[in-house]
Amino acid sequence: MRFPFRHLPAVHGGELTPRPVVDVWLEGIAEVALGCLVDTGALRTRFSRELAVAAGIDLDDALGEQFAVGGQVVTGVPARVTLTLGTAANAHAWDAAVWFCDPWPFAFQLLGLDGFLRHFRVTVSAYREWIDCRPEA
Amino acid sequence: MTVQISHQQFELEAGGVVRAVARALPEPIRDHYVVIDGRRFPPKQVIALVTGLDRADFTTHQARRILRRLGFTAARRGAVRRPSPARSSRSAASAFAERLRPHIGEWVAIKDDDVLVAAPTPSDVLGWLARHDMRADSLFQVPDSEWSGGGAAPA
Repeated sequence: MRFPFRHLPAVHGGELTPRPVVDVWLEGIAEVALGCLVDTGALRTRFSRELAVAAGIDLDDALGEQFAVGGQVVTGVPARVTLTLGTAANAHAWDAAVWFCDPWPFAFQLLGLDGFLRHFRVTVSAYREWIDCRPEA
Repeated sequence: MTVQISHQQFELEAGGVVRAVARALPEPIRDHYVVIDGRRFPPKQVIALVTGLDRADFTTHQARRILRRLGFTAARRGAVRRPSPARSSRSAASAFAERLRPHIGEWVAIKDDDVLVAAPTPSDVLGWLARHDMRADSLFQVPDSEWSGGGAAPA
């Protein structure tokens, strides 16, 4: 499955650097897929906690951990969920550990090593602005 | 500007219209829309908000004509021709970025490369989609900086 990089406006005109964003469906949210940045240097897959609430995913706060990002302390709580990339005949679903975080300072949900990159063979052409994700056998 | 709608007179001005819709989420666009403060609204939704009239009391054509006279851009969905992705994927991607520009900092639901709805939180967007029984392709926040649109690595 190949996806073009997402182009985004910059506040003061022009565009931000186009980036590898793919749309992933989270179990419990049928209305829309979530725009997710493929974060190749991140160890974990992290979503906004607000989405876990919307999806009806139970979170055990006892398992929570805190981490710092951009000078902000964020609390993440893990859950195993089903994620799906693509639609219809091209769809691929997998079971993933996702850390649901609050507060959520990012524009996109983040797909890291655990929860995403272990499940796909990913090729990126930043020059041609596409990302290709093939499920690992 | 004085307008008559459904046998009633109203004094409307552009600033009042902008204020009236400021906190409203645009309803789904079926065909016609007007652009107010960078957001697309169905013309009838706007006139109903501004006047308090029932939408059955006036037509889309009336609403559209009034809003155009107040200086708002009115258009039809799909009326703007876009370059085909095969011919110009780069310009199409940039045009997409421009459509996102009025929504910097907001959460948006995208359908067929158009902004279906924009709101302050993802829950607002999901609620809107559920209320209107609509599905979209992608939900994300239009980042207000390189940083917020980036990742958390190496976390």
